[in-house]
Amino acid sequence: MVQERRSLRLVALAAAALLLAGCPVPQPRPQAPGMPPLGTPAPELPPAARPPPGQPAPQPPAPPPLRRENHLSPATRSLVSQARAQMARGELDGASATLDRALRIEPNNPLLWIERGRLRLAENDARQAEGCGRKALALASGDHGTQGQAGRLLADALRSQGRNQEAQDVESRPFMH
Amino acid sequence: MARFKWRRWRRWRRPLLLGSIAALAAVIVGAIVWVIHLDGVVTREFQGRHWSVPARVYAAPLELYAGAPVSADELEGALRSLHYRPGDLSSGPGVYRRHGGAFDVHARRVRFIDEMREPQWVSIRTDTGGITGMKQADGTDLPVFRLDPPVIGSVFPIHGEDRLVLAPDDVPPLLRSGIKLIEDRRFDEHPGVDVLGVMRALWANLRAGHVVQGGSTLTQQLVKNYFLSDEQTFGRKATEAVMAMRLESHVPKQEILVAYLNEVYLGQDGARAVHGFGLGSEYFFAKPLAELDPGELALLIGLVKGPSYYDPRKHPDRARARRDLVLQEFAAAHLIDAAASTRAIASPLNVRPPGGSYVPAYLDLVRRHLKRDYAEADLAAAGLSVYTSLDPRAQAAAERALTTNLKRLDAASRVRGSHLEGAVVVADPNSGDVVAVVGGREVGIDGFNRALDASRPIGSLVKPAVYLTALQTGRYNAATIIQDVPIELKLSDGSVWAPQNFEHETYGSVPMARALAESMNLATVRLGLDLGLPHVADTLQSLGLAARPTLNPSMLLGTVEMTPLEVVQVYTALANGGFRARLRAVQAVLDDRGRALKSFKVQVEAAAAPAAVYELDRMLTLVTTRGTGRGAANRLPKGTVVAGKTGTSSDTRDSWFAGFSGTYLAVVWVGYDDNRPTGLTGAAGALPVWIDTLAKLKSASFDPVPPELVEERWIDFSDGLETTPACSTDAVAVAVPTGTLLPRRTDCAAAAGSLPANPKASPGATMGDKIKTWFKNVVH
Repeated sequence: MVQERRSLRLVALAAAALLLAGCPVPQPRPQAPGMPPLGTPAPELPPAARPPPGQPAPQPPAPPPLRRENHLSPATRSLVSQARAQMARGELDGASATLDRALRIEPNNPLLWIERGRLRLAENDARQAEGCGRKALALASGDHGTQGQAGRLLADALRSQGRNQEAQDVESRPFMH
Repeated sequence: MARFKWRRWRRWRRPLLLGSIAALAAVIVGAIVWVIHLDGVVTREFQGRHWSVPARVYAAPLELYAGAPVSADELEGALRSLHYRPGDLSSGPGVYRRHGGAFDVHARRVRFIDEMREPQWVSIRTDTGGITGMKQADGTDLPVFRLDPPVIGSVFPIHGEDRLVLAPDDVPPLLRSGIKLIEDRRFDEHPGVDVLGVMRALWANLRAGHVVQGGSTLTQQLVKNYFLSDEQTFGRKATEAVMAMRLESHVPKQEILVAYLNEVYLGQDGARAVHGFGLGSEYFFAKPLAELDPGELALLIGLVKGPSYYDPRKHPDRARARRDLVLQEFAAAHLIDAAASTRAIASPLNVRPPGGSYVPAYLDLVRRHLKRDYAEADLAAAGLSVYTSLDPRAQAAAERALTTNLKRLDAASRVRGSHLEGAVVVADPNSGDVVAVVGGREVGIDGFNRALDASRPIGSLVKPAVYLTALQTGRYNAATIIQDVPIELKLSDGSVWAPQNFEHETYGSVPMARALAESMNLATVRLGLDLGLPHVADTLQSLGLAARPTLNPSMLLGTVEMTPLEVVQVYTALANGGFRARLRAVQAVLDDRGRALKSFKVQVEAAAAPAAVYELDRMLTLVTTRGTGRGAANRLPKGTVVAGKTGTSSDTRDSWFAGFSGTYLAVVWVGYDDNRPTGLTGAAGALPVWIDTLAKLKSASFDPVPPELVEERWIDFSDGLETTPACSTDAVAVAVPTGTLLPRRTDCAAAAGSLPANPKASPGATMGDKIKTWFKNVVH
């Protein structure tokens, strides 16, 4: 039984690592709906939806976006790539430390909390994965796509704890469709 | 007579001879056994040796990325405190070059929790807002880069040895040849003991009439330090000589030399004995051995002869004369050329001032954390590296804020000989990382650590838990009217409890937002009793209070005692959208080869409903703009939004402030150690310390993500009626569940059709905009 569980765990870990190694770091999507006003230089990357800590909140953009959308900044994107590479090599502690760095830069970015949650699942810490999922879900408010990712993480974390009904409840929420 | 003797001699000759032979044989056998024994000791102990290397404790590295709020001067300050020096980058790591806001840095090889970074060239650009971009040597963009983690201390035993072990490759060639030149010229030839050297020393000492030269080889010195006691007896000398020779027969010369360089005693730093050239370099020059110039190396080599006599901090003239002598010897032996020697002799000693930033209160927290997992002996000897969350900038800001404010408050105090004390804990509420701990106003010394050990009544700091309990029921919101009228309670012991407001007034019907902002006692007690004490206690416990408080009505006014650190734990969930982050001082422990032994992960758990916490937090921002903590927002950089709560225990014995921005959660306590009344409210005592700490940190605004199904509305601060800023001079923005019915002001035309302008729009869509208006209104 113990043996079996351990091998299952290994398979799950390998699968998670493969999955994560395979999926690309989320690239910023163009800001919906409008284009930046004429005359503004095209930024290298769409600005992060929320300013990084330490920076003054930007003036309200015109026109305001209809929906929030979360992106990674160049700094956090490079750290997420690094964390995924570490995970793929099985360096889970290293990946965790790398994600800590990213979250120190953008503590309110739900995409980073989703990364951390996926890592916790790979570490077999479903309870902490659940915490990350709930945190990500709270931060993703107004961003349908990110809510969906956070919801899937949360559902996975709940299922790993045998809480299937709660997982189904999460999956039936509107942002999951 | 003579014949008699002769006869006796004949008679005793044989036994005497036999006896002598037997004795001689015994001595020889004994000597052999002794040598074999010493040989065993040498091989066993030396081969299996590991240096006693205390755990080294590191602060968190400064993270650089485009947008990091680090100015050019701050970056240079950080580099300087890591002992980077301006200069030519090609001269090696540990050097930087600055042109206005642009930097080139030759970063050192350092170990981080997750990787070893090899030496690296980096260009960093800054403007007034902070870092704008970074590039590597090959011109490619570098999105993120961290400076070296600063060393903040070691966990060494009392009167213990501290050292940084050098590997053979770490030893600079000049040190290798220089130490032999000065201490043991025939090191490469002698078998462990230098008979010629001893004779020469003997002759020199005889001529001088006192000891001017020692004849000990490096090997003997090593053996003496490593295996033997300090007594100067003939027996010990003999043992030393034998062991030195045995050691030489087993261990290559170069290994003996490196061991010597790691073992040798170089100075005393309070309770800490500085051993080896690795630590010596750091202790006297604050840089790695590889970066020392010939003059600095000469100073260290000269110190070996008498670490206290030639102590460059206590006796700079002696140290200088000794260094110059060593440099002349270097030149005479052609280890360096004459010009280099002259140049080095002309240069100052370059020894850094003693002390530095010692953070005993934080190290205390680290030690307690580690003691759960490690034996004291391992911490003191096993060469562990401990990576902590300490942010040196936050620590410096908190120390300065506390000491300057306490001095000012003492001067203004009516108490004769006032000596207020205080404590500050600063954390990152999102991760639970404890970034600064100040345990008292004497920041540099080990003393009573009030941040961890002073358990005091928290006063009104408890109130947010009462209001959160109310919001979580769904029956209350920020505009709900509660009653601030006198109340008398018969307690279980028969006594009557009649709490009062701080100003001994009553305010009647008030909205919850105002009752909390102005910290009304009567309204809070009534609210808490309506909710039920067990429910309030539940909230406190889910926020992270370890022990369930006694269910007594006075708990609603904060009779529960907590340390500043415990208050921080309870407030993380309020500062983090309802998620409790477990406090963390130690992030990871690595062994002496850099392998992770233990890592302590960020742990975040849901502690309260995010929507209710959002509503509460919006009320707590009113504390700092309209309530007991008003003025906080004005004294921070313009536009900074912060939330928090003042606390004052009975008779003003304890003055508290707990509050947070977008990046930091800080808790401040001010009071007397003997628990006398201070005459200070939370706003007068603790708040200025809190403000000065946060102001120095250029903290981002508290700017939480608005949850769904919560919306912003304007209410009149005095009566809670829905209004608009145009209609009421006392309008404040609050967050309430979407669609909440609020009674409106009817005496104002502008009140009709008030915000929200477009309640049908998707909540996510208009919320961002509304929040911005709201924050603008809060700020101005």
